[in-house]
Amino acid sequence: MLSLYSSLLRLYPAAHRREFGEEMMHVLKERQTAANRRGPLSRIACFAQETSGLLRGAFQEHARQMIFPGPLSFSPRNFTMRSEFRFPKATALLMAIILLVVIMAIEKAKAISDSVPHTNAAIGPIQPAHLTIVPTLLIALAGVCVIAALSWLVLFALHRSGTQRLAQLDPSSQPRSGTGLHS
Amino acid sequence: MTEPVLLILLSLTSHPRHGYAILQDIERMSEGRVRLSTGTLYGALRRLLEDHWIERFHGDDQSRGKQAYRLTALGRRNLQQETSRLRHLAQLASLRVARKEA
Repeated sequence: MLSLYSSLLRLYPAAHRREFGEEMMHVLKERQTAANRRGPLSRIACFAQETSGLLRGAFQEHARQMIFPGPLSFSPRNFTMRSEFRFPKATALLMAIILLVVIMAIEKAKAISDSVPHTNAAIGPIQPAHLTIVPTLLIALAGVCVIAALSWLVLFALHRSGTQRLAQLDPSSQPRSGTGLHS
Repeated sequence: MTEPVLLILLSLTSHPRHGYAILQDIERMSEGRVRLSTGTLYGALRRLLEDHWIERFHGDDQSRGKQAYRLTALGRRNLQQETSRLRHLAQLASLRVARKEA
């Protein structure tokens, strides 16, 4: 069982393993020893709980590292993010404009749909709008992605992308970001 | 704040404890109702360390397996706020339930 726990610990991100791996193995050993003393049922229950806990924990740690590679804190009262994850104001404005354009395009499409007859001898009956909404949204999403990529390329060419601006910062002059509650 | 996090903080109020001692104390406090897995415990400890609610305590036993943790001033303050919030909520619930029964 301990060798299985050890294998499951290898599923954790390397940073987490370095920091807590030895402690976790120590706790797992103590728990398993205590469960062994209580009997076979307790041993099985302990094994099931620890195995599922390690799998879930490894998944959560990987997910956290993929989404937020650095320390990050959430709090209903105090939401703070590391500077790497802050959107520039221009990006928020651009996203708002894109959303507005998409909404206007949908409204215009609805108006066009209402203005034309729903049966046409040459092309047959016109499909209801709800049958075309999904492809429309997909096209709109693709358009948004293209616009975002082009915007990023422009910022990159101007050396104004987030990572480039961060790289220009002097880390020694930056105060450490605040943290809050994450529970 | 989730129940496991609250129980971990409560476990560290009196004195520093290492991982296994925290698990035992939580089981004792909850009268066997809450049994955290090691994965859950260390996920919560990592977040609490990052948020500076707890810190590593370097006592007599320096081995990594017996690494102890203790509450920071920030952790204690936040725990007091949370217990006060829970007390208020419990009082409110009691009042509402009593009024409904009357």
